[in-house]
Amino acid sequence: MSLDTHKISYYISKAKSLNVDGFEKKIRIALLCSFTVNGLEETLRVLCFQNKINCATYVANYNQYNQEILDKNSNLYKFKPNITFLILDTRSILGDLFFSPYIISAEKRKEYVKNKTDEIQELVNLFVQNSKSKIIISNFGVPTHSSYGICETKADFGLQEMVTKLNENLISNFKNEALVYFYNFNQFVTKFGEQNIFDYRQYFLGDIKISTKYIPTFANELMSYVKPVLGLNKKCIVLDLDNTLWKGIVGEDGYNGINLGETSSGKAFVEFQKNLLSLHQRGIILAINSKNNVDDAMEVIKKHPNMILREENFACMKINWNDKISNMQEIADELNIGLESMVFFDDDRVNRELMRFAMPEVLTVEFPDDPSQFSMMLSNLNDFNVLKITDEDSNRGEMYLQQRKRTELKNKTKNMDDFLNHLNIKVKIKKANGFTVPRISQLTLKTNQFNLTTKRYQEEDIQNFVKSPDKIVECAHITDKFGDSGITGAYIINKDNDREWSIDTFLLSCRIMGRGIEDGMLDHIIHQAEKDGITRIKANYNPTKKNISIENFLPEFGFKKENDSWYYYIDRKAKKPKHLEVIVE
Amino acid sequence: MARKLYEIIAKVLDVPISEINDESNPETIENWDSFNGLVLVDELEDEYKIKFGLNEIVESNSVKDIKKYLKIHGVNTDD
Repeated sequence: MSLDTHKISYYISKAKSLNVDGFEKKIRIALLCSFTVNGLEETLRVLCFQNKINCATYVANYNQYNQEILDKNSNLYKFKPNITFLILDTRSILGDLFFSPYIISAEKRKEYVKNKTDEIQELVNLFVQNSKSKIIISNFGVPTHSSYGICETKADFGLQEMVTKLNENLISNFKNEALVYFYNFNQFVTKFGEQNIFDYRQYFLGDIKISTKYIPTFANELMSYVKPVLGLNKKCIVLDLDNTLWKGIVGEDGYNGINLGETSSGKAFVEFQKNLLSLHQRGIILAINSKNNVDDAMEVIKKHPNMILREENFACMKINWNDKISNMQEIADELNIGLESMVFFDDDRVNRELMRFAMPEVLTVEFPDDPSQFSMMLSNLNDFNVLKITDEDSNRGEMYLQQRKRTELKNKTKNMDDFLNHLNIKVKIKKANGFTVPRISQLTLKTNQFNLTTKRYQEEDIQNFVKSPDKIVECAHITDKFGDSGITGAYIINKDNDREWSIDTFLLSCRIMGRGIEDGMLDHIIHQAEKDGITRIKANYNPTKKNISIENFLPEFGFKKENDSWYYYIDRKAKKPKHLEVIVE
Repeated sequence: MARKLYEIIAKVLDVPISEINDESNPETIENWDSFNGLVLVDELEDEYKIKFGLNEIVESNSVKDIKKYLKIHGVNTDD
């Protein structure tokens, strides 16, 4: 098996004794399948455990997904899943047509596919309405056999086209449904091979359509959906240089002695860099942590004709002779991201062991000895997934480059006020709407540090808040002279009564902390409250391990503690920051 | 003694190796259900680089049977 997973017997035995006490992240997973998936539930629970997730599971009875969805009082609904996997197979959906599609006319085949599309769509819609759970539909495996043989592609709406069309219909009809996602089962089959995944013996013995050997791999694929629901995605890849981004040691072999693209083994590094660049382009931050002479390394990064990743692709570069642990901490501090959002790539086994020991929060990937496997290793990591790619994701690389320039300005200017005044910060307050709701939800799921209450909200939750007349849901779009940081702040206010509002959520992305933006946002909230005749604003601070940076925010702004809550009395003069401009859109 | 074989069975069925003998079967070992039987087949095939036929899986109702079919595939567990 090409993935770094254990055998199924390991998971089954491990699942019997999992201690999830103290895990903050919780999820409820339901499995609805048209065939036997023994072992999948156990494996998922163990994989969740390994990611410090407290996971409860529900497996619907064998092939009972229809009844469970239709019956409002079913155990499925009683279980109240957050995420549900609907795993149906092509044989069960096509029935006899799986073997004999050509005994009916092309017209009838089209009708059959249309009816099946409607049937599944109705079922899924009903489930979503009743459960509010996310549902991930595994798409239908396109049959690899056909009685038409090589003429299959010439057939009018043939067997393979039927299944392809069914998949396309469903994907396209659910494109705008925020709770419905697809798992590309065909991609799974392409990657690992039908003859490995489907074992006729197990199929005859127990209606098993994903062989027990591949259940751990399959479970790992499903984890790609579980992790981002809980905001457990990685944001940053930290890279070593020698023998990681190029073959050879530049300090010893020299600029001309390293190998990047010239020979077959050098090509592996170019390919690896191309894959890293593509992750960077979609929002993964890249950084360097390398023991090297900075001049030697920079010559390669700047000038080497086959180098794919260049200076502007790295948000932070630590090229020095300091130890890698200190460098890692500095990268985290400079980028203002948690160690648990970072992945570390280093070809040196000792460095990896050291990192695992000193910083267990960092995901230190077991790096293959053979460079030809680097790209495969990267594509097998499912830790970078988000449920929706927002504009902020695709522009993140550019934003971090701006951040590097801000840090340079900060080092140049004499004091903090001077620096802030130079930035020309604009805080644009936007109402939550179709465009901003996904981002607001993403911020509540991902923000750990400057987050007053750390309440996690899915898109549907935010949508419901928007509809409520008793809530204010807004976000802040930040720009300054270096560029656009995108929507990086958000808050949710409860209008409790005629005199009091309370802050349900107030957060800032770590990227824009330390620029007084929180004061601008809070000042704006107070102004709105004043207009509404509100006399005081209530706030609760829920301390977590990570939001200590927000602890002094309330008292410094002028909130007073009474019992367990903080209150701000509107008659006080608000702490209006002078260095920024708040614009209401 | 078929030590290696016993070890695999003990691991898959999650029982102490001392509880396993040639007469062990789904009746005597609680965890030996049809699903764990298939997992056992996976592990044996991986370990001995062989592939059982469907019939051999169906007919393997005890450790003794497993030994018999392993032998047919050229694996002598009593070495």
